[in-house]
Amino acid sequence: MTSITGHKQGSPVQPGGFWEAVARWTLSVDHKKLGMMYIGAGLVFFLIGGLEAAFMRLQLARAENTIIDPETFNQLFTMHGTTMVFLVGMPVLLGFGNFLIPLMIGARDMAFPRLNAFGFWLFIFGGALLYFSYIGSEGLYGAPGAPDVGWFAYAPLTSRTFSRGNSTDYWILGIMVSGFGSMTTAINFIATIFCMRCPGMKFMRMPMIAWMMLVVAGLVLVAVPVLTAAQTMLLLDRSLGAHFFDPETEGSAILWQHLFWFFGHPEVYILILPAFGFVSEILPVFSRKVIFGYALMVAATVGIGFIALGVWAHHMFVVGMGPELDAFFGASTFLISVPTGIKIFNWLGTMWGGRLRFATPMLFVTGFVAMFVIGGLTGIMLATVPMDWQLSDSYFVVGHFHYVLFGGTVFGIFAAIFYWFPKATGRMLDERLGKWCFWLLFIGFTLTFMPMHISGVLGMPRRIYTYEADRGFEIWNLISSIGVPVQMAGVLIFLWNVVRSLRKGEVAGDDPWDAWTLEWSTTSPPPEWNFDRIPTCTSARPLWDRKHPEDPDAHYE
Amino acid sequence: MIDPRGREPNEAASAADVPYLRAIPRPTPWPIVTAFGCTLLFAGIVTHIFVSVVGGACAIIGLIGWFRDVFPHEAVEEIPVVGCEVPLPPPEFAAQTAGVRETRRVVPEAIHPYRSGVLGGIVGAVAMAIVACAWGLIDERSIWMPINLLAGILVPSVGDASIEQLKSFNGAWFAAAAVSHAVLSVLVGLVFVVALPMMPRRPLLAGGLIAPVLWTGIAWATLRVVNPTLEQYISWPWFLASQFAFGFSCGAIIARFNLVRLQVGQSIAQRLDLDSSGDSNGGAS
Amino acid sequence: MRTTSEPIALARMSRAKVGMASLIFMESAFFAAFLVTYLYYIGKSTSGPQPIECLDRGPVLFNSACLIASSFTVVLAVRALARGAIGLFRVWLLVTVLLGFEFLAGTAIEWSGLVTAKGLTIQSNAFGTTYYSLVGFHAFHVIVGLLMLVGILVLSMFGCIDPRRDHARVDVATWYWHFVDVVWIFVFLLVYVVGRVPQGGGL
Ligand code: HEM
Ligand SMILES: [Cu+2]
Repeated sequence: MTSITGHKQGSPVQPGGFWEAVARWTLSVDHKKLGMMYIGAGLVFFLIGGLEAAFMRLQLARAENTIIDPETFNQLFTMHGTTMVFLVGMPVLLGFGNFLIPLMIGARDMAFPRLNAFGFWLFIFGGALLYFSYIGSEGLYGAPGAPDVGWFAYAPLTSRTFSRGNSTDYWILGIMVSGFGSMTTAINFIATIFCMRCPGMKFMRMPMIAWMMLVVAGLVLVAVPVLTAAQTMLLLDRSLGAHFFDPETEGSAILWQHLFWFFGHPEVYILILPAFGFVSEILPVFSRKVIFGYALMVAATVGIGFIALGVWAHHMFVVGMGPELDAFFGASTFLISVPTGIKIFNWLGTMWGGRLRFATPMLFVTGFVAMFVIGGLTGIMLATVPMDWQLSDSYFVVGHFHYVLFGGTVFGIFAAIFYWFPKATGRMLDERLGKWCFWLLFIGFTLTFMPMHISGVLGMPRRIYTYEADRGFEIWNLISSIGVPVQMAGVLIFLWNVVRSLRKGEVAGDDPWDAWTLEWSTTSPPPEWNFDRIPTCTSARPLWDRKHPEDPDAHYE
Repeated sequence: MIDPRGREPNEAASAADVPYLRAIPRPTPWPIVTAFGCTLLFAGIVTHIFVSVVGGACAIIGLIGWFRDVFPHEAVEEIPVVGCEVPLPPPEFAAQTAGVRETRRVVPEAIHPYRSGVLGGIVGAVAMAIVACAWGLIDERSIWMPINLLAGILVPSVGDASIEQLKSFNGAWFAAAAVSHAVLSVLVGLVFVVALPMMPRRPLLAGGLIAPVLWTGIAWATLRVVNPTLEQYISWPWFLASQFAFGFSCGAIIARFNLVRLQVGQSIAQRLDLDSSGDSNGGAS
Repeated sequence: MRTTSEPIALARMSRAKVGMASLIFMESAFFAAFLVTYLYYIGKSTSGPQPIECLDRGPVLFNSACLIASSFTVVLAVRALARGAIGLFRVWLLVTVLLGFEFLAGTAIEWSGLVTAKGLTIQSNAFGTTYYSLVGFHAFHVIVGLLMLVGILVLSMFGCIDPRRDHARVDVATWYWHFVDVVWIFVFLLVYVVGRVPQGGGL
């Protein structure tokens, strides 16, 4: 089969022995290989983090359970949160950025390919350092143990007094190192999008993913250094006896919260914007329609990027900031739902009147839109200050952010994997297994996280290792825990699907979805140089224009 | 067909600055070595200073190797494709044609004019107010009761008011109620302008009947949780009746105006065409 | 009929420039966190050495002048390189490096004075904590910038810098030096002007 750019389809299996293969991957500076390694490593961490969550749900399935002791439970929720945010969400999404950006804007590689490899390995080694704490650190009683201060590591819990040993230092250093990786990758994204676009690829013709990744990269550059700075201060506190966050000696615990959440809120948008990008690419293709309101979508993305920098203290309503700040941050948080709502309506507008085809990627995308709306609405509830005073630090918050992060980001990631797997490997993922995967995940997800809203409203605090009987929590916790094996089944089917399809999946061809962006104009998998001849771009859907010279988008710009 | 500009001599000179035109970067061990060194450098803080020393050495070696990869010339591999440096020329397009194609349809394709929404909102507001005040007079023997309850969406203290206060005139509450009633009505009218043409079959039915029923249902289900004190005063049959009054009158007014075709999803040629033929396309559909 | 009239040339921005600008943007966020923290703790120290007793403006003004002057000399160096005057380039670059070293030496002298004479350490109080970390991280960035400049100087001594080929790269590298300089202006204003308040006299 010959692609539009004239390249002969190569076989995905390359010759050579085991060590040659290892060398090919570790020494590679190819953005596609790095992207796939990011995603693969992220998925491994996803399994680890998921296992940690499963243990927590096992412990919480019954009241006054004793399977897991309190110290271990603290380590579990800390490592689960840290892993999912820094070692799953960030790398998988940055991995997709890596894989897709050059292909979508018609470039042969990123602007700084070696820096790209450097960032990836920093993420890997940083993650390894964090997990090394399980065996290498001096934990609470001198025995090794993972960090146990929660993923936002509130002061003064992290001070020498309350966090003995050095597990907290492992948390600081592991995250800092992988944070350096994220920052170099962000620089790379920006330089690539600014400097490597193919001829004719104006900014307003870029695929939505490129826009989203550009905004994400900007957010990373603003937010992650602030986390690094805060972690540096914490490290100075802990190792040199400085007084940044120790309230007993002129330090301020609230300052840590401000610094952390100044990073933390942009971070959640770093985690959701790429998923918005996946939806904005996949929905139109499976609705067979142009995306509704491209320009508005771009504006909403940029708007979200800016507003996201000014809402951080909605995580701090219960520390007593005073009515003015509460009102300001409540209002700014409401404001962010405007561009977010615009996106939702644009997606609905895209689907409306289209010829919908519910292949697996589309199933996940539709699930995304629905679940994200629920998560967004509970977010609005939490942004209402009096409501937050009631619900903060309860399971309701846990319900909220799992609706946006699991129902949103993770569903988006699955959609993206099902959609771009054929491009990356040359083989389709199995549709039947894919549908099983979706429905199991969807049902398991709802079982697990919907009841958390109820137990939260009933007053169940988050991060407790057990709870008394007869407070009305039992049934909801039991349902939550029952959802876990259902989700696990979905994930296992997914893994089986990947393994099987890699070997005997249907051969994909260049363009299995009849899509419109440039990555589908080259072979699957693409050659190392992506395009035999650099494509030229005539509209926001360059491949559509090539396929339909009788009705090109170029006429509509 | 090859674009002639790709071959101009001065273009070729500047093409040397364009990265990865004829070659792609060569695989290299130095980034991973540097990353490993940097990580060890930090890991020394929690293990042993020796680890940091090894890490620092690794990082320096890695950086030197890296530098030699890019200086004075980037280490690259040739792309084994003839003519890979010439961009693919753009396709040739057919002339523009008229008619909106299926894949470009936007919904709604046409809407009622915005002024009809404003007018409909005002008329609906009046109709709704009449029904609501009728409820106040007939059931509660006070015309102020519905007005004060409405003020409750802006003024929190209404929730604590006694029944006597609710039944007597209060200037501030009246103003709050009037403003919110007007604003909300006009906004809903504007939503109707866009939403009615999207409803299948009989738009008026949707606007006048279904929307009020849905809205009343939502209000009924949520108000008892969100604001129970307010909820106890509300008579749901009357509430529904006032929604019907709004929906039907607003919808009826808006439906009297012809649809205006939107220009979204039309090619530039079609838009220009529309302009030259004046308002003729803005007519009925 | 061909309707796309645009040329299909590859007009691009320089990736080095965009990359360096992004790096500087990122570092600014890093420093912003430290600056805001410093601001937050001004006047909060109730015990131990106070800024008004410790911070002597005289020497630091001289050091600052050197650092700011180095920004100008590095511009002169880049201009010389652009003209192909490699000898002049080396001279101005050397002057820049020396000025940078002067700044570092000045900081070292100031710090040792603070530690020995005034007893101010990072553990003393909030002032000590924020002062040493802010000024220290700035000094660390000066060191990184200096390493870059020294590297370029050494390369040019060995004749590895070709004005035509490398002028643009050297130019971009010096952006970092300017950035370090600009950050110092903010640090100086915050620490030595705004922050020199008497005991307990916060903002
Ligand atoms: C419509 C937009 C959103 C609003 C109004 C919103 C609002 C909030 C508020 C007020 C909180 C604080 C709750 C508390 O701790 O008391 C919160 C927590 C959280 N939100 Fe959202 N949110 C929104 C969207 C998102 C998105 C898109 C994500 C991520 C993809 C997200 C992730 C989180 C996380 C992780 C937390 C909990 C952090 C923690 O305490 O561990 N939110 N949200
Ligand atoms: Cu937030």
